[in-house]
Amino acid sequence: MWRVRNILQVVLTFFLWSSVFRDPQTEVFGYNQEKILTYVFGILILRAIVFSARAVDVAGEISNGDITNFLLKPVSYFKYWATRDIASKALNLSFSIVEITILFLILKPHLFLQINPVILFAVFVSLILAIILFFCLLFITNMSAFWMPENGWAAQFLFIVIITDFLSGGVFPLDIMPVAFQKVLYSTPFPYLLFFPLQVYLGKIGGPEIIRGLTTSIVWIFILITILKYVWAKGLRKYSAEGR
Amino acid sequence: MDRAIVVDRLVKNFEVTEKEKGLKGSIKSIFSPKKKIVHALRGISFNIQPGELVGFIGPNGAGKTTTLKTLSGLLYPTGGFVQVLEYDPWDKKSDFLKQISLIMGQKNQLWWDLPARETFELNREIYEIPRRDYEKNLEELITLLDVGNLLKTQVRRLSLGQRMRMELVAALLHKPKVLFLDEPTIGLDLIGQQKIREFIYEYNHKNNATIILTSHNMDDLINLARRVIVVDDGRILFDGALEELTNRFAKEKIIKISLSSEVDIKMIEKIGTVKQVLFPEITLSVPRSAVAVAAAEILQNFPVNDLTIEEVSVEEVIKKVFRGELNK
Repeated sequence: MWRVRNILQVVLTFFLWSSVFRDPQTEVFGYNQEKILTYVFGILILRAIVFSARAVDVAGEISNGDITNFLLKPVSYFKYWATRDIASKALNLSFSIVEITILFLILKPHLFLQINPVILFAVFVSLILAIILFFCLLFITNMSAFWMPENGWAAQFLFIVIITDFLSGGVFPLDIMPVAFQKVLYSTPFPYLLFFPLQVYLGKIGGPEIIRGLTTSIVWIFILITILKYVWAKGLRKYSAEGR
Repeated sequence: MDRAIVVDRLVKNFEVTEKEKGLKGSIKSIFSPKKKIVHALRGISFNIQPGELVGFIGPNGAGKTTTLKTLSGLLYPTGGFVQVLEYDPWDKKSDFLKQISLIMGQKNQLWWDLPARETFELNREIYEIPRRDYEKNLEELITLLDVGNLLKTQVRRLSLGQRMRMELVAALLHKPKVLFLDEPTIGLDLIGQQKIREFIYEYNHKNNATIILTSHNMDDLINLARRVIVVDDGRILFDGALEELTNRFAKEKIIKISLSSEVDIKMIEKIGTVKQVLFPEITLSVPRSAVAVAAAEILQNFPVNDLTIEEVSVEEVIKKVFRGELNK
C-alpha cells in the first residue's frame, strides 16, 4: 500500500512542478524544468534506497520480547538489522526501477543526466553515508520502545513520515526555503539523507561544499553511533525480557 | 572450575507504571505516571556444581524466571553478584553465550514459516559450529527426541509437542554446558512430557551439563531433580535434596487405619484431621510431635485391623510450595 502512496506522491509533485515550470525557459531558485523533474524522480529513487530500512521493526521486537532470542545468541543485533536492511533495499530498489520505468514511459519527462565521474563518485559516497545516517536515526527512535513499549509506533510515524521526509527534502527542494532556515537545517543530519546526494547529482553545489557536506555527514554518523551505543546500553538495563 | 554457577545476594527490582482503567486513566498516566517498585528478587544466594541438575520451584511470581533471565544475561541485576562459567552474564561475551542456552516453554526461536531445519542451519552459522559436529549433534538430537521425519515440515504446521522438541534441538545444537529450562513441559500431553523428561535426563548425564529447571509439573521435579531450590516472594526458602523437603516442611505425619467395624467418625476427628474416609480405610494427619500418642489412642479406643504411619508425600509438599503455603 505504501508503494501506491509513493507513486501518487510522485505523480502529484510531478504535475505541480511541471505546471509551475510550464515554460522550459523559466528558472526558479536555480531549477529549470529539466532539473526539477530530475529532482522529483531522484527523490523517488533515493527514498527507495535510503528510507527503506527494516529497522522500523526493532520497536516491535523490543516491546513483544522477540529481541530476547538475539540477546541470548552470539550475534550482533546491529549487524543483524544492517543485513536485513541491505536485503530490503535491494528489494525496494528493484521495485522502484520498475515504477520509475513505467512513470518515465507515461510522463516522458526531460531528465538531467550527470556524466562527470567525480561527481557520480561523490553521489555514491553521500548515498552510503545517507544510508548509515538513516539507519542510526531509525534505530535510536525505535529504541524508545525500551521505555515506552506501547508507544513505539507513534514516535516512528512522527519521525519518519513527517519530520524526516520534510526536513530531508522529500516534499520539496530545501533551497527554496528561507536562507536562515537552510543554514540551521544544514547543521542537522536531515538534509544529508535525500537532499544533499541529489544536489550533488544535479551539480548544483561545488567541490568545497560537497566536501563540507560529506564531512558533516561523517561527523553526524559518529555522534549518532555514540548516542546509539549509549541508548542501547541504557535500554538493555531497562529491558525486562517480558512477554511470552 | 568447581562451581558452574555462583549467585550471591542477588537483588532485582522492576519499576512498573500503574495505569488506571479507561481512557482517562491512560491520559493521567502519561502526565503523572504512578511508578511502583516490584521486588522480584530480594537477595538470593546459591551455588551449583558442574553437572548438577537443580529444580527451581515456587508459586507464580516467586522470581524463578527472573533468576534464569538474570543468569543468562537478559536482565541487569539491581544488586548482588552473579557468575556463570566464570563469566559475568551481563557482558554477553560470545564465548559465554556459546556455552549456555535458555529455553522457555512459552517462547520460540524457530522461524515460523520455514521448516525447522532452516533455523538449525542458521544457528549453526551463528554459533559457528563446525559442519561435522553439527551433523553429529543434529543426528543425535533428532534421534533422542524422535523428530527425524519432521525436519522438512513448516514450523507452523507442527503440533505444540513437536514444536517444543524442535525448540530443544535448536537450543542444544551448540552443546551448551549450562542449560536453563523454564517450564519445558508446559502444555504438553503425558507422552510428550515423558519424552522431554527422558531427554533432559540423558542430556544431563551424557554431557555432564549443568541444568536449572523450573516447572509446575510435579513429575518433572520428582523424576529429574536431585536438588531443589524453593523460592517464594524473591527469597530462598529451601535449598537441598528433594527428599529433605518433607522433613523440613511437613509438620504433620499421616496415619492410615483400617477398621474392623463401623465407628463414629466424630470420635476420630478429635485425634487428628481426617483427610479421607473410604470405609474401612481412614486417613488422618496428625502433628509430628503427637504421632505416637495419637497412634496409641487409636489402637486403644477403636477396633483397628491395621495401622501405618507415613510421611507426607513429596507431592503434597510441592503442591504446598506452588500454592505458596509453606510455613516459613
